[in-house]
Amino acid sequence: MSKLKVILLAMAMGLCSIAQADYRFIVPQEPGNGTDIWARIVAREMEKKLGEKIIVENIPGANDVPGFNKFHNTLRKDPKVVMVAHGGNAESFLYQKVDYNYAEYDPIGLQNLTIMVGHRTDSDSYKMVTFPAASGTNPDVIAMTLLVCGPNKTMREYADCYRNHFKYVMGMTGNERKLSYIRGEVNSIRETPSAYFKNIQPIKENADWFNPGVLDIKTGNIVSDINFPNVFFIDVFKKKWGVTPAGDLYDSWMLVKNYRDVLQKALYVDKGNPNKDKLRKALADTLADPTSLAAIEKETGKYQWILGDDVLKAHAALEKLTTKKALKDLVWWVGVVLNQEAIYKDDIARKAH
Amino acid sequence: MSILLTYLPFVLAGTLYGFLFGLIPVAGAMTGLLTIYGFIEVFRSNPYTLVVFTTALVVSCSIGDLFASIVMNIPGGAGSAATMVDGFPMSKRGQAARALSAGIFSSVGQGLIWGILVFFFLPYYAPIVLSFAIPEMLCFLILAMTCVAFINSHYWFRGLLALAFGIFAGLIGQDPLNGMERFTGGWFYLAHGVQIVPVLAGFLAIPELLEALYLKAKHIPPPMNNFEQIKQGMKDAWRYRNDSVRGGIIGGVIGLLPGIGGSIVDWLAYGQTVALAKDDKIPFGEGNVRGVVGAEGAGMAQKATAYVPTVLFGVPAAPFEVIVMSLLMMVGIELGSVQLLTDMTFFHALSYGYMVSLAMTFVIALAFIKYASNITRIPLKYYFIPIIGVIIWSCVQYTGGWEDYVMLAICSILGMLFKYLKLSRACMIVGFVLAGRLEKTTIQFFTLYDWAAVFQRPISLTLILLTAVAIIYGIFFNKSKINYT
Repeated sequence: MSKLKVILLAMAMGLCSIAQADYRFIVPQEPGNGTDIWARIVAREMEKKLGEKIIVENIPGANDVPGFNKFHNTLRKDPKVVMVAHGGNAESFLYQKVDYNYAEYDPIGLQNLTIMVGHRTDSDSYKMVTFPAASGTNPDVIAMTLLVCGPNKTMREYADCYRNHFKYVMGMTGNERKLSYIRGEVNSIRETPSAYFKNIQPIKENADWFNPGVLDIKTGNIVSDINFPNVFFIDVFKKKWGVTPAGDLYDSWMLVKNYRDVLQKALYVDKGNPNKDKLRKALADTLADPTSLAAIEKETGKYQWILGDDVLKAHAALEKLTTKKALKDLVWWVGVVLNQEAIYKDDIARKAH
Repeated sequence: MSILLTYLPFVLAGTLYGFLFGLIPVAGAMTGLLTIYGFIEVFRSNPYTLVVFTTALVVSCSIGDLFASIVMNIPGGAGSAATMVDGFPMSKRGQAARALSAGIFSSVGQGLIWGILVFFFLPYYAPIVLSFAIPEMLCFLILAMTCVAFINSHYWFRGLLALAFGIFAGLIGQDPLNGMERFTGGWFYLAHGVQIVPVLAGFLAIPELLEALYLKAKHIPPPMNNFEQIKQGMKDAWRYRNDSVRGGIIGGVIGLLPGIGGSIVDWLAYGQTVALAKDDKIPFGEGNVRGVVGAEGAGMAQKATAYVPTVLFGVPAAPFEVIVMSLLMMVGIELGSVQLLTDMTFFHALSYGYMVSLAMTFVIALAFIKYASNITRIPLKYYFIPIIGVIIWSCVQYTGGWEDYVMLAICSILGMLFKYLKLSRACMIVGFVLAGRLEKTTIQFFTLYDWAAVFQRPISLTLILLTAVAIIYGIFFNKSKINYT
């Protein structure tokens, strides 16, 4: 019987850790994925300033949508529930059927991140780019298409070029992508900055890497990522083709890439949430604490934080990019060229005008 | 040193917890592992403690299984059924302590040898992973499914049926090509696929626990001359060391094969012991200690080597490894990942958990022999209700809604139906777990390669040949009728 008590005690410990939680961070992914890791680090550091316990709750699902939908439809009414949204959610918001809507929430803060894109140069590999697909990789393969196919083409010409020079390899997990890239089975890859430093930099491969840039929410332009200053996409493109990128596909890329990157890691609560100010202060205090900031940046790299109502300015900058033409072209590219589920949502584009 | 001290309470807890589940008739390591979902939060702050805890649980449970088999004539777990054949007749003769001692020494001895081979050298096997490109992985997955269907049992057609069912269940959810829902019947709950916890609980744990309700433990006389019998058992294990080593080799090799699982190794080892023994005074089946030594040589060896494909490739070598993979994924440790292969803390935790638990279990098991006969007198309610409670609780954590209960009920009914129809549940689980991976790897293969690649690469060609051998063996030569599940 004493051992049974041990079991029950262990179970009770697990239950108690949930029962004592004051705040819940809802992560729409399985544990161990990028946003889950980010959420756990931020929660751990925020707890110290908040003075209350935060638990991370994972609600995974197809394209990471069900967790965010659940927050929108039921959970957000709980004043202690915080949504941890990521770039894939923002992409889905642009061209998939989702319930959630960023306009209905109060932002706590977000980190304006980007994703590195790399291409092996140790063979004649620009003739056939093999790119592993995953949630959130569509902007990267579009950037690569621009780089390989050059400037000033129509959408159909870009589509033809893509079909002749690209193999988009579906169904790879993050781990499989890395292994395939290291083995040379695929010659292109994308990585978060932290994963780049951890997995790619040590292997010293012959490759071109570029940073797609970070959106300056004041100007609406992209600027080079300070973590990787010498390989800004615009500069790499200009070096290769002699002009800066422009055109319909570029506009679509700017739209989807910036939605993904600006909303890459973001915390939201329901509009009018009574704990909003408390959470905003706790996050601001966390980022003002050098130790906490260093712990977060160790995982993410040095990226700009946008806090409180300033997030609404970021939303406004994104809305400016959401022209009907850019959105329609993006939906066409994703649906027809990449053969994925994509619908045009007129209300998103209309709101921008 | 501080890391070792950090892990020590978790090894001790995992060892005691696993040993307890080993003692419970038919519960086994899988049931023990399933209950961890109920208190996984304990391990969130340091995921490596879960590595230590699960490894310790597997080790101690495997040895604890011996007790129910030998003193109750009910298998303690899937891999200890063959031990009953000679172990229980010895108990009836008043030699339970000798049988237990012989089994423990044989099991721990082989566990030590194979544990050293696996865990101390596992990091050095990591470069093998880089040799496994997409064609090799595709062939490996096909081999895993073939092995589980054709080698596990003579009834390969039933195995294939169960495998096909598992693959279908594993494909429910999202089409990896276009992200569209499929096979969900419009039930949004299934959009992310069927969750693994209710499948494991419904197919593996609940049918066995319900069966335990109807099993009657037979009472044996308390062992006399306990210490003398333990000494005699130790001498038996040494005297019949060839049987133990042969069992270890069988267990070790079977453990390396993906998807096979532990439920056949003890019978294979037992069968070889019987086949090679001559002129023994006590016939097999009537309490010949060699039967215990031979069968128990296989169990721990299989458990140790099953970690190789699971850790290196993320392909579970046994059903219990499916649960280990899923648990570790929940705390952020992805088996078979690039990061893990360079994570020495993980490998240290794994080998520490295994070796220290093996030593602890050895001492605990020998000390417990004295009380072995008492376990037949523990009323079922003391362990049945808490285990069922924790398992149900674990299964309803996905959404917390009524759908979780419905899914568990569906899986439990199907699990019992499979058991009743003697359809291999191991095949179903392997098919379910590997279906998505097989589909995605096939897509990747045909995007980047063509069929000729399989035959031009030595490793993939070897794997295809092994697959052909497994099919031929399964159809024409496999006489194993002992395991349907």
